[in-house]
Amino acid sequence: MPLDRRPLLVASVALAICVALAVLAFRAQATTQTRLTVFAAASLTDVLPGIDGSQRYSFGGSNMLAAQIEHGAPADVFASANTTLPSRLHAKGLCSKPVVFTRNRLVIVVPRSNPSRVRSVRDLTRPGVKVVVAGPGVPVGDYTLDALKRAKLSAAVLSNVVSRETDVREVLAKVALGEADAGFVYSTDAKTVSGRVSVIGLPARAQPTVRYGICVVEASGSEAAARAFVAKVLSGAGQARLVAAGFLPRAKPKPAKR
Amino acid sequence: MAGPSVRRTLLTVAYVGAAVVAMTFLLLPIVAIFAHTSPAELVEQLGNPVVQDAFVVSLKTSLIAQTLILLFGTPAAFLLASRRFRGHSLAITLVELPLVLPPAVAGIGLLAAFGRLGLLGSSLDAFGISLPFTQSAVTVAVAYVASPLYIRQAIAAFEATDPDLAAASRTLGASPVRTFFRVILPLARGGLIAGLALSFARGLGEFGATIMFAGSLQGVTQTVPLAIYAQFDQDFDATLAMSAVLVLFSVVLLAALHAGLSWQRSESTSSQSLFGLSGSS
Repeated sequence: MPLDRRPLLVASVALAICVALAVLAFRAQATTQTRLTVFAAASLTDVLPGIDGSQRYSFGGSNMLAAQIEHGAPADVFASANTTLPSRLHAKGLCSKPVVFTRNRLVIVVPRSNPSRVRSVRDLTRPGVKVVVAGPGVPVGDYTLDALKRAKLSAAVLSNVVSRETDVREVLAKVALGEADAGFVYSTDAKTVSGRVSVIGLPARAQPTVRYGICVVEASGSEAAARAFVAKVLSGAGQARLVAAGFLPRAKPKPAKR
Repeated sequence: MAGPSVRRTLLTVAYVGAAVVAMTFLLLPIVAIFAHTSPAELVEQLGNPVVQDAFVVSLKTSLIAQTLILLFGTPAAFLLASRRFRGHSLAITLVELPLVLPPAVAGIGLLAAFGRLGLLGSSLDAFGISLPFTQSAVTVAVAYVASPLYIRQAIAAFEATDPDLAAASRTLGASPVRTFFRVILPLARGGLIAGLALSFARGLGEFGATIMFAGSLQGVTQTVPLAIYAQFDQDFDATLAMSAVLVLFSVVLLAALHAGLSWQRSESTSSQSLFGLSGSS
């Protein structure tokens, strides 16, 4: 009965192919064990591959990445735009004690055309100015809230917020596209689209302390390689890359001049 | 010989095995949503202001979008179903295009069209209208991704109506408008309801185009899917509660879809019994 047998044959061939592919995928994973999966803050998108191009990166809001790690995502290294998220993972036994590996500055970006003529953080309080920030829990969103509190402008600026984005690059995109009048991002993000946005600095008293923490995920199967990656980021060459991209050295220079 | 019967048993085992795998795979995530938290906790989470705001935004924008889809989609579908013109199949293909478009592409397209610097954005700006970041932007995104589902189903529903009935209505002196509302629409309503259910489901789940075109702000543009995403790292219980409600809602929509489809089928058969002479072949 050739007609009867054919679907069974097709099914078994399909099954065999599936199994073969699964085995191949598994073996491919096994052979490239040294290739790490690095979960890193969106603001590191342009710089980390320059420090080590041989790893697999997943960039996003640090808070989302931390939540994914908590739910068992197979990350080896977690590079966060703050120290609270990796510290929280460390407290839960999910990653090693975080180390500060770089720092950054929070700035305001406006579209090059600057349709609302924003010149300072105070201009963001004017009615009708469309301000975009990152959501609560996203490091840059928390730094923004901190900066506004320090500037004593929280209520007035937050009433102009038209969107709370999921990571810093989404904020940047909305401003670079000209859809929003202003947004809060790191100075390093602004540099990546310098032709499309202008940067407005924050007054020194409003500038929050932006420190990036890195840790090795405990569930990682390749801890040695992960530790080596962290060392690479902390090395002179790694730090030089970060500084070249506009990040600040990981340790503040001693305030000797004061 | 036992050969054929053994083979048949094996085949049955293979079928049943595949069915069990498929059903488990499809249902497990849904069961898990409900298993993760107790019903009491789910209900309690519904008091969460983020959750409430998200449902208000989702329902409001969906209702407006679906109303617009009905008002514009129904005549458009009727035209595409009843007239044959040059470029007819091209028109149908184009109507279906947003259906297969990745939502992120739809979001970029909406920005490029209606964004402040977009194709129509500057003209809209002249009228003091700026769509991005407004609730209207959510409605536009929902209508854009959901309408093809309705129009597609509506075209099929209109095509399934018996043209003899419309012709009879016209011969008996009814105006085209009266014929449309009293004969064609009632005949097609099952299919239209099915289309609306599909479109509603797609619109409620809209994520990519909305987050790109409308942003995400609680109580303004943050729909339930956006709130689920935003709360994922903040409050897992709240995301579970919202997901659970969406699952229940989807079940209702699915029921409406199937009821509509079977209604459509019974309508087309009852039309034959009504005009027993023409349908007796």
